[in-house]
Amino acid sequence: MDQLAQFKRVAIDTDVLIIGGGTAGCLAAVEAREQFPHLKVTILEKAHVDRSGCLAGGMNAINAYLNAGETPDSFTKFVRADSMGIIREDLVKSQAELFEYCVKKVESWGLPVKKEADGKTYMVRGRWNIRINGESLKPIIARGARNSGAQILNWTVVTNLVVQDGRAVGAFGFNVRKQEFVIARAKTVLVCTGGAAGLYRPNNQHDAQHKTWYCPFNTGAGYAMGIRAGAEMTSFEMRYIALRTKDVIAPTGTVALGANAPFMNGKGENFMQTRWAHLGGDRAPTPIRAYAPIQEIKEGRGPVYLDTTHLDREGVRKLKEAFLDMYPDQVLYWLANEMDPGVSPVEVQTTEPYIVGGHCQSGYWIDVNRETTIRNLFAAGDVAGGAPYKFVSGCWAEGVIAARAMGKRAGDVKLADVPGDLVEREMRRVYAPLFYRTKQLAQLRPPDFEHRLQKILEEYAGGSSTFFEMNEERLVTARKQLARLPEQFPFIEAHDLHDLMLAHSVMDRVDVAQTLVEHLIARKETRWPGYQTRLDYPERDDAKWSVFINSRKDPATGKLEVLTRPYEQIVPGSRYEG
Amino acid sequence: MPVYVDNDKCNGCGSSKEPPCVRMCPGDLMVKDFTTNKAYLRSKEDCWNCYACVKPCPQEAIEMRLSYQIGYFNAKVQPHILSSELIEWECTDTQGNVERFRIPTKYVPIAIDEEPPAEEPSTGADI
Repeated sequence: MDQLAQFKRVAIDTDVLIIGGGTAGCLAAVEAREQFPHLKVTILEKAHVDRSGCLAGGMNAINAYLNAGETPDSFTKFVRADSMGIIREDLVKSQAELFEYCVKKVESWGLPVKKEADGKTYMVRGRWNIRINGESLKPIIARGARNSGAQILNWTVVTNLVVQDGRAVGAFGFNVRKQEFVIARAKTVLVCTGGAAGLYRPNNQHDAQHKTWYCPFNTGAGYAMGIRAGAEMTSFEMRYIALRTKDVIAPTGTVALGANAPFMNGKGENFMQTRWAHLGGDRAPTPIRAYAPIQEIKEGRGPVYLDTTHLDREGVRKLKEAFLDMYPDQVLYWLANEMDPGVSPVEVQTTEPYIVGGHCQSGYWIDVNRETTIRNLFAAGDVAGGAPYKFVSGCWAEGVIAARAMGKRAGDVKLADVPGDLVEREMRRVYAPLFYRTKQLAQLRPPDFEHRLQKILEEYAGGSSTFFEMNEERLVTARKQLARLPEQFPFIEAHDLHDLMLAHSVMDRVDVAQTLVEHLIARKETRWPGYQTRLDYPERDDAKWSVFINSRKDPATGKLEVLTRPYEQIVPGSRYEG
Repeated sequence: MPVYVDNDKCNGCGSSKEPPCVRMCPGDLMVKDFTTNKAYLRSKEDCWNCYACVKPCPQEAIEMRLSYQIGYFNAKVQPHILSSELIEWECTDTQGNVERFRIPTKYVPIAIDEEPPAEEPSTGADI
């Protein structure tokens, strides 16, 4: 009997197909249903929308918001300087225009946004930040999506897009709870699956290996399906290396902005003020605030701290409250190690590199409507490129922008036929790891494969053990070693459907890693110290490299072409002053 | 070292096919064992410590532990859902001292068993 016969084929026809029911996806679903109530909207989600993705644990702030006196232009100027002079200004500006719309909308669904004594003004945490009690942020937006009337298929892992004649016409996926294979035909498709963790060796090992900052379940599927489909990608070389609290890897904005804590090295010196004052000191661009602590440690002045010792009892309680809303492990860590942030400063460290378009700008190359280079395929949130500093509210805004464009487009598009042999081929590819059993003593299981991939990137493509630095010859070695990995896919064994999801998550990451390494090789300057430190090209070179590095894999030949696209300045003023 | 299920407290949510912890884990890591009628974490290496399974457990049977490499025994942070507007965090240090935090929220209740979707996905297309 054909092994595939055990899998029921489930066909879905829809107008607006949303891949990923997270931050961007939930808001996109609501916007599409509100603006175009006659359209069918379908979300495919690999976990359960109520607690899936980045927001599972909660959030304690909205970090991209226009507080009093700020404008989309001032935001764009700030983000440009924070990203060392290269961003897609059209994208950043258009998302800023919708921050208020999105935040007010989610607040109307119940999100507690903290207010000043007047009961109206949002409580500010920093120039672009407002405070929330967001422990339930994800269930709140998921309920919004459910109430909108969107169809939601939980436990559906999307494996590939269906593209015909340069147009997206649907997607394939498998259910992790049932023996079902989903064939979705759609007039428009939105990818919003988040970015990629798990590429580099993580900070902690063994039973703490997923004690990462970025959601370890965001494994780059959206990038990978776009790369395989021939979509143009941008700026993968702008890796995100986050400055986080030591060991539990919790966000430091809560400490630095929320508790007004300055940097301090092992000698008790505020190195940002003494060594980095020319770039803004404690308010230097985000990459510099990760790079500078790395240098302190490298040059023998570690450990590095955020100094919280000015906090009184009430200040410490407020800091703990803020972490409980988003990252309770930080509080547990202090308790388990008998630490009091009012007595001893909070030690910080840098994370392994992530690829994430919501903090940096790695992702699909899109137009201002968030349409990719494949017609009828849109991208939003962490998977979309060119617009850093999105965080939660920018991802919401991108979901809304994409949904508006998709709703309009859907009226002009007819559903395409998905040929049976294409379905057959994808089913064979998807379920292959379930059917392979080695006759050898040693099995190749998804975690083994993951460790191999992480070892290559860690050692040859700027992992934390080499202070995130790299040079051409090591990157070329990474390229060569990565090239062998796809040959090994047929040996990966999955023993159940959960395992199958892990198997695809590691195979997807190979596509992401190969693209990443080509981008790192291509940018022959150091644009973002720390994120992208080229030892062989240590300086920024504005004359030559004020461009985006893009890439496209030809689906027919599998060849990855690297190209550049011009940077266009829209908001006047110096690119390096925010 | 992430979440642990206290087998004395866990009742498998009775006849529930997919108890809240099994549905809410963003990594699909919680499993119900129908022989013992208890939930368990299938792989402790893969847990993100996000508390998505801890909060909706009606028995408060799921406890978060840091991996021993980053935290000593026997500290504990346990959320209690007091109402749809208020969550209490009970924080116990290694000496047994307790500090409580009551924080406003908008808790969305999680049913013991999810209603099946009203409409099964159509199999209409000709494939």
